[in-house]
Amino acid sequence: MTTPVRALYVHVPFCRTLCGYCDFYSTRFRSDRVAPLVDALLAELRRWSDARPLRFDTLFVGGGTPTTLPADELERLLAALAAFRDPAADVEFTVEANPATLTPARAAALARCGVNRVSLGAQSFEPRELRVLDRRHRPEQVAETVALCRAAGLTRLSLDLIFGVPGQTCESWARSLAAALALDPEHLSCYGLTYEEGTPLTARRDAGRLRPLDDDTEAEQYEYAMDALAAAGRPQYELSNYARPGRECRHNLRYWHNEPYLGLGPSAAGFIDEVRYKNVADTAAYVAAIRAGGSARVEEETLPPERRARETAMLELRLVAGIDRRRFAERYGADPADLFATAIARHTAAGLLEVDERGVRLTRTGRLLANRVMADFV
Amino acid sequence: MDRSKIRNFSIIAHIDHGKSTLADRLLQRSGAVSERELKAQILDDMDLERERGITIKASAVTVDMECDGETYMFNLIDTPGHVDFHYEVDRALAACDGALLVVDATQGVQAQTVANAYAAVGNNLEIIPVINKIDLPSAAPEDAALEIEHVLGISADHVQFVSAKSGVGIDDLVRAIVKHLPPPKGDPAAPLQALIFDSEYNDYRGVICYVRVMNGTLRKGQKVLLMGRQRTYLVTELGKFRPQMTPCEALAAGETGYLVASIKSLQDVTVGDTVTDALHPAAAALPGYQPPQHMVFCDFYPATGESFDALRDALQRLSLNDASFSFAPQHSEALGPGYRCGFLGLLHMDIVQERLERECGVSVVQTAPSVTYEVVLRDGTLRHVESAGDLPDMGHIEELREPLIEMQVITPADSIGNIMQLAEQRRGEYRKTEYLSPQRVLLTYEFPFNEILYDFYDKLKSITRGYGTMDYRVIGYRASDLVKLDILINGKPVDALSLICHRSKAEHRGRRFLIKLRKEIDRHQFEIRLQAAIGSKIIAAESIKPFRKDVTAKCYGGDVTRKRKLLEKQKEGKKRMKTVGSVDIPQKAFMTVLEPED
Repeated sequence: MTTPVRALYVHVPFCRTLCGYCDFYSTRFRSDRVAPLVDALLAELRRWSDARPLRFDTLFVGGGTPTTLPADELERLLAALAAFRDPAADVEFTVEANPATLTPARAAALARCGVNRVSLGAQSFEPRELRVLDRRHRPEQVAETVALCRAAGLTRLSLDLIFGVPGQTCESWARSLAAALALDPEHLSCYGLTYEEGTPLTARRDAGRLRPLDDDTEAEQYEYAMDALAAAGRPQYELSNYARPGRECRHNLRYWHNEPYLGLGPSAAGFIDEVRYKNVADTAAYVAAIRAGGSARVEEETLPPERRARETAMLELRLVAGIDRRRFAERYGADPADLFATAIARHTAAGLLEVDERGVRLTRTGRLLANRVMADFV
Repeated sequence: MDRSKIRNFSIIAHIDHGKSTLADRLLQRSGAVSERELKAQILDDMDLERERGITIKASAVTVDMECDGETYMFNLIDTPGHVDFHYEVDRALAACDGALLVVDATQGVQAQTVANAYAAVGNNLEIIPVINKIDLPSAAPEDAALEIEHVLGISADHVQFVSAKSGVGIDDLVRAIVKHLPPPKGDPAAPLQALIFDSEYNDYRGVICYVRVMNGTLRKGQKVLLMGRQRTYLVTELGKFRPQMTPCEALAAGETGYLVASIKSLQDVTVGDTVTDALHPAAAALPGYQPPQHMVFCDFYPATGESFDALRDALQRLSLNDASFSFAPQHSEALGPGYRCGFLGLLHMDIVQERLERECGVSVVQTAPSVTYEVVLRDGTLRHVESAGDLPDMGHIEELREPLIEMQVITPADSIGNIMQLAEQRRGEYRKTEYLSPQRVLLTYEFPFNEILYDFYDKLKSITRGYGTMDYRVIGYRASDLVKLDILINGKPVDALSLICHRSKAEHRGRRFLIKLRKEIDRHQFEIRLQAAIGSKIIAAESIKPFRKDVTAKCYGGDVTRKRKLLEKQKEGKKRMKTVGSVDIPQKAFMTVLEPED
């Protein structure tokens, strides 16, 4: 008997405008593409449910901007997903939203479908920084959207913020954090701005039209977030995530524990039966493939057990709690302290890593230099 | 063949003055090579030679030359045109009775014209000056002829004016060779003495020796003795290059050709050695034999991804056809196992390194070149040291001596001031000035060899607007205030980066080197201190600020594979580094000391 799939990710690729820094697959919203996409998503879901039991206790609808979908289509999609929730579980159901796109009608639709968590792309409360990031909303709209969510009964809120933005200072970062905390979200994601290959932002930098923030300031901002959010009762639990204890994003924790999940939609990845797959990152191609009754997969990867174990170690190192030695040993038959002895010796000596009976984890300094450590675990 | 009809001669010239073109033209005149076969510069048969426009290995060709109804045998012995190969030039000239001294009519006498002419005179050769490229618009043949007379004391009466390219003047030149260059002396009945003036390796025949028979007769099937090496071989093949290898039964006194004797490796043959009959040996070897002298040393280490074995095999393969470099295993604390290699000069070093990469496909990390120093220890023993890492403890050293060179520079007179300044910076000592003409001078200087090792030639070219030429010879050793300059990374000396230099230069060299090094090494999570030190005294310091942040912000379900691959790449990149202490040093950093100073 196949074990039920517990986690679901759905990718809605539409955005009103495309942001220069974003490297997730997204495409400009077109109303004529909505129904075919939702049809295809539901068809892909049905195909999975025919094949194996789906009993989700975490669902995450991201993108793109899922809330670009008209309320009725949004509800058609979410209601179908909700049907596969585990009735016996405390379900976490998250939808990503932008301050400018969440209307009362859409918020009501989310609530009706059992969505209980909204992740809002606030990014910054400084108009200048929002412009650099190509974000079209005004800072005040974040508070308005938060109020709208709460009014609709969507009380579990997470805010995304970005530091390391060109021109951003430690002071302006502190202001954005304070403004976010004033809205009392249970969860915050604070990302250091990343110059991803192929993005307009990176092109601007390479053309000399944009000067990246210096490394030292960015490090200070990162450390400031760790301190300020811990002091505000939302300690760091992952390299870029902070939450009230018990309010960590359970769905994302599954990624960092390298646990199975189902992925639906264009460019979505999934990890089922030790196979990591990825769908085509093109909406029309995705719709066509699903319609034709075929697979939208373009990549599949099965790693040998040792490499999979290394991948898990890399992912769990992202967590403040680190690699759970006992659990890791149960899954892979080896104590990480033995498997990674050389790397651990090296990085503990450098003060980047700490080990005790329970786990192997990054130190605070280690979190700033996580890649250096992880490179020796993969 | 009647010995009075034989002419053994060499063509000598400054680089690019047309030596190889003239050789080709003579081959064509003889009918040995047709126009169609006359690919540019037949005698230079290595790609590298053709690309760099220099002749690396000597070649010898025998042709039948018609002149005024008589047939003569011309043995043309080609010589390397670069200063690094003085010894090979000298040995090639020892196989000749005369020389054509080629001077470019647009350039006049240059430094290597002078050096080569002296070498020819030193070998008692009859010289015919040949002014080449007379058909070029900027040619000044009469001026060039006057310079030859003036500087070299060779009468302008015998000067031949030619254009090797178009063929103008070649008939007259052939006539002059017949008339003015002497036929070989020597006694075919005397005990055998044949000079090995070059050798090369052939995949099918093994080592091929180029020989000039001075006395006696060399025969196929003869048992011969190499007098320097004291080894005997059986001659399995004799012949001449026409220019293809053409076997014959014997080579008599005065003749030039090749010898094959199942000699396995070039290492078994030394240029300059004498071949004699094993049963009836000559009383003495021919004079002038020297083992090849390595002037410049550097270490080669396998680059990342290359194995030590691949490097070893490649060096062994190259040494089959270039016996003039040496290699011996070497271990660096910083770079691991590699080879210490000795070269005739810097160009030779570059050529070997390039051939390793090009012909053998092996890429190497090369350390800065060094010259050989003499170390006199307190107990009186003398040692030769080729790298700073091999220096004994300074407390045991009585005296350090550095090699000196005599350099001749030919330059426009208006650059004298610049050259004096450059010489000053390089611890040069002025010897004399000779005027070739009112506009051009020949300057003689003495320099410590290590001062001209890196970039002297480039500097000279730039301060003389490209007109200056130089040539040098090592003339001996001199006690000098030399120091070992150590480079320390986080307090730890890195053997592969240390060097020997004059005390007065140490601080400047150290400071400049650290600045370059700072640019090569990535920021680490800790501060990196770079120091230059003499003994325990720090004379320069730099630091590399630590980086504070290297973390991938986002890693969710869709990112896992890509992020993992990025980290794997980061891990791979680290392998390309040489880790010293806990500092990762890119291989390129070991070369930065080679970059020209400004």
